[in-house]
Amino acid sequence: MASDQAEYPPELSRLPPGRHGLPRDFVVHNQRERLIAGLAEAVAEKGYGGTTIADITRHAAVSRRTFYEHFDGKDECFVAAFDTVSEQLRERVDEAFKAEDDWAHAARAGIAAMLTFLAAEPNLARLAMVEALVAGPVVVERYDAAVQTFIPYLEAGREGRPKKVLKRLSDSTEEALVGGMVSLISRRIVAGQAEELESLLPDLTEFVLAPYVGNDEAAKIARED
Amino acid sequence: MRPPPGRQRLSREFIARHQRARIVAALAEETMDKGYRAVTVADIVRRAGIARNTFYDNFSSKEDCFLATQEFAVEESLRRVVDAAAEEEGWEARLASGLGAFLKYVASEPALARTCIVEALSAGEAAQERYEQSLEAFIPLLKLGREDSPFGDDLPDTLEETIVGGIFWVIYQRIVKGQTEEIEALLPDLVDFALTPYIGAESAQRATARL
Repeated sequence: MASDQAEYPPELSRLPPGRHGLPRDFVVHNQRERLIAGLAEAVAEKGYGGTTIADITRHAAVSRRTFYEHFDGKDECFVAAFDTVSEQLRERVDEAFKAEDDWAHAARAGIAAMLTFLAAEPNLARLAMVEALVAGPVVVERYDAAVQTFIPYLEAGREGRPKKVLKRLSDSTEEALVGGMVSLISRRIVAGQAEELESLLPDLTEFVLAPYVGNDEAAKIARED
Repeated sequence: MRPPPGRQRLSREFIARHQRARIVAALAEETMDKGYRAVTVADIVRRAGIARNTFYDNFSSKEDCFLATQEFAVEESLRRVVDAAAEEEGWEARLASGLGAFLKYVASEPALARTCIVEALSAGEAAQERYEQSLEAFIPLLKLGREDSPFGDDLPDTLEETIVGGIFWVIYQRIVKGQTEEIEALLPDLVDFALTPYIGAESAQRATARL
């Protein structure tokens, strides 16, 4: 089994040599994270369809057996990866959003956090926003659900607005805004421009704020430094 | 098979076009029933009521047939949008009329809509790419709004991409949730969504109120 030997040393290859004395829980957790990172690298290289378990274990530097201790197969590993990325993304957005006092600046900060995260992690960006859609119905469902989690941050923009503004907003306003944003970001990632995503901040801010604060105010906040 | 005696023979071109349309419709119906991944050429052939050879005369593979289905739907929807828009005067009315025609088409062709708006995203790289291109086809129609816009040159460069993406996302959600019959009712909301960046919320609301 030449390929197994090539993968040796397994599990602990990136941990300190010798008797590391790390608790088993930590090692197991670490293996899982490595497999997820390995999958992201493999998918970035070959696309989800072209990725094999061997690709994942090679990138993660763990054995095939270890892979199967954590996941039933490629699909399950992908779901775990997707959940990890979308959760991290949501946490970053949430933190940035909550650090601001007024809604318009909070929304801007949230968008900025999202773009920064995706630009810094182009592999994960591709995995979560492009490959997720080709990875089968289970992941597509999670993708849809993950997109919907951003809606409440925009809905918060309705609070305290004058009646005539509220009357104008429709039930699908937030859905369309989030969808438009996600669509534009995905298009840039598909075009191989993930690293330039942060340049979209003014455009997306203006687009998202306008229905709530009006075009002029939205443009002003979008162009603030 | 020979045509019935006494009737004029159909032109070869007509038969070919008709066959392709039938195959495309069969792919969409099968895709709606079982999801694109599970669909086989045998399924398409059976549904279309044609010989396997006829399928391969027209398409090299299931994937090829899928791309043709997307192409057909994009051309057909664009044609309807442009025709409907041409009946109106002024950009706002044209946009509303074009979008209305689009929503009507989507609602009237649930299998084709599901295939091209939902399944296309998971049907592989070429299909995904074709999907992105199809969104782009609508961008020039929206861009005309810049000419009438008081915000004109200040509008973000990415605006049209974002609006089209938003509209497709809302439609996608309705299809996924099986609420295809609600799609036409989205018209005022979506027109308002598309007009607001160009003419401001108040004018957009006035324009939408007339729908």
